[in-house]
Amino acid sequence: MNYLFSSIQQLKEKIRNKSLSPQELSDRLTSRCNSVQEKYNAFISIDPDVISKEIAVLFENIEDILHKTDNLPLTGLAGFTYALGDNIATNCYATTCASKMLSSYSPPFDAHVFSKLKESSAIITGKTNMEEFGIGCSGNSSFFKGVKNPWNTKHTAGSGAAAAALTGAANISFASDARGELRQAASYCGVFALKPTYGRISRRGLLDYASSLETIGLMARNTLDLATALAAVAGNDPHDVTALRSEVPDYISLIKENDGSLQVAVPENWQDAPHLEDEMKDIFQDQLKKLKTTGVKVDFIRLPHFQYSSLAATIISAVEAFSNLANYDGVRFGYRSKGKHLQEMYTQTRSEGFSSKLKKFLTFGALISSPKYYNDYFLKAQKLRIVISDELNNCLQKYDLLLTPTTPFKAPEFERDINQRQEGLPDPAGYYTAATNLAGLPSLSFPLHTNGLPYGLQLIGKKEDEVTLLRAALLLEKENTLAWPKFDF
Amino acid sequence: MPEFETVIGLEVHVELLTNTKLFCGCSTAFGADPNTQVCPFCLGLPGGTLPKLNEKAVEYTIKAALALNCSIADEITFDRKNYFYADLPKGFQISQFFKPTGRDGYVEIHLNGHSKKIGIHQVHLEEDTGKLLHAGDDIISSSHSRVDFNRAGVPLIEIVTEPDIRSPEEARLFLQKLRSILRYIDVSDCKMEEGSMRCDANISIRPAGSKELKTKTELKNMNSFRAVYRGIEYEVQRQRSVVLEGKEVIPQTRHWDEAKGITKAMRSKLTSANYRCFPDPNLPPFKITAEWLKEIRKSIPELPDSRYVRFTGEYGLPPYDAEILTASRELADYYDAVLASYHEPKSVSNWIMSELLRLLNSTNTEITDCKIKPEDLGKLLQMIASGTISGKIAKSVFEEMFATGKNPEDIIKDKGLTQISDEDTISKIVEDVLANNPGSVEDYRKGKNKALGFLVGQVMKKTKGKANPQLANKLLKEKLDR
Repeated sequence: MNYLFSSIQQLKEKIRNKSLSPQELSDRLTSRCNSVQEKYNAFISIDPDVISKEIAVLFENIEDILHKTDNLPLTGLAGFTYALGDNIATNCYATTCASKMLSSYSPPFDAHVFSKLKESSAIITGKTNMEEFGIGCSGNSSFFKGVKNPWNTKHTAGSGAAAAALTGAANISFASDARGELRQAASYCGVFALKPTYGRISRRGLLDYASSLETIGLMARNTLDLATALAAVAGNDPHDVTALRSEVPDYISLIKENDGSLQVAVPENWQDAPHLEDEMKDIFQDQLKKLKTTGVKVDFIRLPHFQYSSLAATIISAVEAFSNLANYDGVRFGYRSKGKHLQEMYTQTRSEGFSSKLKKFLTFGALISSPKYYNDYFLKAQKLRIVISDELNNCLQKYDLLLTPTTPFKAPEFERDINQRQEGLPDPAGYYTAATNLAGLPSLSFPLHTNGLPYGLQLIGKKEDEVTLLRAALLLEKENTLAWPKFDF
Repeated sequence: MPEFETVIGLEVHVELLTNTKLFCGCSTAFGADPNTQVCPFCLGLPGGTLPKLNEKAVEYTIKAALALNCSIADEITFDRKNYFYADLPKGFQISQFFKPTGRDGYVEIHLNGHSKKIGIHQVHLEEDTGKLLHAGDDIISSSHSRVDFNRAGVPLIEIVTEPDIRSPEEARLFLQKLRSILRYIDVSDCKMEEGSMRCDANISIRPAGSKELKTKTELKNMNSFRAVYRGIEYEVQRQRSVVLEGKEVIPQTRHWDEAKGITKAMRSKLTSANYRCFPDPNLPPFKITAEWLKEIRKSIPELPDSRYVRFTGEYGLPPYDAEILTASRELADYYDAVLASYHEPKSVSNWIMSELLRLLNSTNTEITDCKIKPEDLGKLLQMIASGTISGKIAKSVFEEMFATGKNPEDIIKDKGLTQISDEDTISKIVEDVLANNPGSVEDYRKGKNKALGFLVGQVMKKTKGKANPQLANKLLKEKLDR
């Protein structure tokens, strides 16, 4: 893998001895992003002017940045490249949610994460392609077409963010995770993903579809980058009342400390996931064996309601999406169709502006929150959410981590796998991931590279305890060799 | 003809007097140019709709609910009411559905010498919508509409009554009492004409004696107390005619047409509204601590009802006086302040109710803008009582005080208006008057008592009204009867 530079110190040396000019750096970065876009359709927006401007500022301030220690978690990211999912508000780029509805929308403000990243002297390479409004990971609902998996372009990448992190079009990708989308895409592309505790990163400026479940998370090619980026963007935001008020841990120093052996739990019925592939079973069991040999204690435990988490999350997210997306009415912004009167304009605008997949999802949300189905579906899902959260929290009182596969299967093939698996209500890709969204717990997907498409190993931690997840990922990095694909850009 | 009973429940929306909106920092000032007091939240812009609760608005809601004798929840939720309309930028309104702020209160009204409690079902806090500006004359004939979102997000409290109201008069009295209470606690200015107080009425009729609730209509667009009275009166009569014709009342929303004096059908209400309410995922439940509640309770001033009891009981005022004096907190405060310097409850009440209110009304002045200091009014009344000035002169002094805000001593001194109570001085004038009016003297002696009044008038005229009338009367009589 051909990184632009491996550390800010190395970059500084290059800038000092003039072996790298800002122009050269931005040209190389732009050309890489363009290649990733052409080959895999990973981006919705790339703006060479923004890239070269940010690089110029970085070069100008490089000495300052390296000597300023008072602003440390932020400047830790200086010189890193990053991409943002296109449901994170940016004033300088359109923010489309990969939907026709917003194909020309530029918000008059920046998301909280983007403001922080701008301060950090990191460089934005572009806005990444995704499922429409970030719903699911199946690769068939973007207005800009699906993202191809760099390991095998017949398969979905899950999201442009994952493809960008894999191909080096960004050191860090930021994207949303409401039922596991971030972790699933990371698993499909074989990169690291961290969905932090709900509220760890401000949601201000995230165009979310399921506010109670959804957080901004990050992807990278190693644990340390994840920790560095999390440290830079985490923290309380008075404008997001759901944000955590607690102090952000010093991730970078803490993860390097090793505080003895881990105790890990695995749901005893982990093999019950629909569409669970045999290869995944073998790889998962291998990982458990490996962990045991390094002194990790692994227990199988009963989590009776874990299997319903994708169902509960689908119902709750559909109802919230139906409400969250009700502002797309053509009156004030975005796509607007014609109509003889207000009602007809609404109907036409929403019929034409949303994909059929999204319309089904929203209609489902409207249906199950209607008086007829409210108690049997929506209320039941909310009760399940409490039960599942309690089960997870109880288990994590005794264990440091809960371990599962990230997805039951590797990246689905466009058309074939995706159509087959769309039957039924719960999203099968979210079988393992949705529970942490229901409970607001942090979760990390560790990449497992194979001969073909990669898999992912999911680690679930206690509330607010991303440190243990990152420490465990460092340990796994030592135990596993990652075989990154070679790219010719 | 069968007897009918009218059953009315009111839903009253009141804008709170907070400086900023309920979930964002935009100003709530009334009358700004359209769409100048808006932000991404007010407009429902994608990515800009995270709410941040204005705790002042919660405080005002609790204060109102307490003043309406409600019990207060220890935890409240904010819930989404989902529907599509052009004045609703997010496609949902954030309101309180599952855990409203206040429940089970009441308001007492006084009607024909009796008092009656109107039950309050609940008091909750919600955001206002934008305002549609219809092209053309009215909503029905308009070709298009523009939307002003300045009002979107302004905090409103909704007060829902039990169906306890039995007549248009009771509805009007209830609203006036409600306005009075909410103004006492300073949470809203309750101006129906500006829309800071709005009232919808659910109206039905049933055979007298029946306990059953019949089909109701919801009446909207009543923009004054008078309109509420007239609208309900009309609607009750309309329902009576429908029933007497042997037809059924159709459940519908009706619009009060002030100009034509009729109600018009707007839309049918076949099923109960389906708003798909659910807790807003961006707003965690909000706890109301016992300490906070205690603090808010302490901040509530004496309310009209307890003032009424104090004024009729302690001060012995007639109910009519007490009702008028307590209707506004400022007037009642003024009355209490005058009493503090001159403790004659009834005579102070008389002056305020006749002289002061007359001048306030004729000059369209609010009591808060009245230039007369309460203690100066007390001094003036003291001077009348002590005979320093006559009642007649007092009135002109009072008018001068009202116009200039000067104190009565200065006015009296400047104009030399002190009453003449010196016997010798008046005696001389009386002699003159008797000498100059022999005809009247003759009349009096013949038994025409009226002549005395004329002669007193002459004394007053000669002294430019400054003579003490009782003294003049006494001296005249003495001399005439001698």
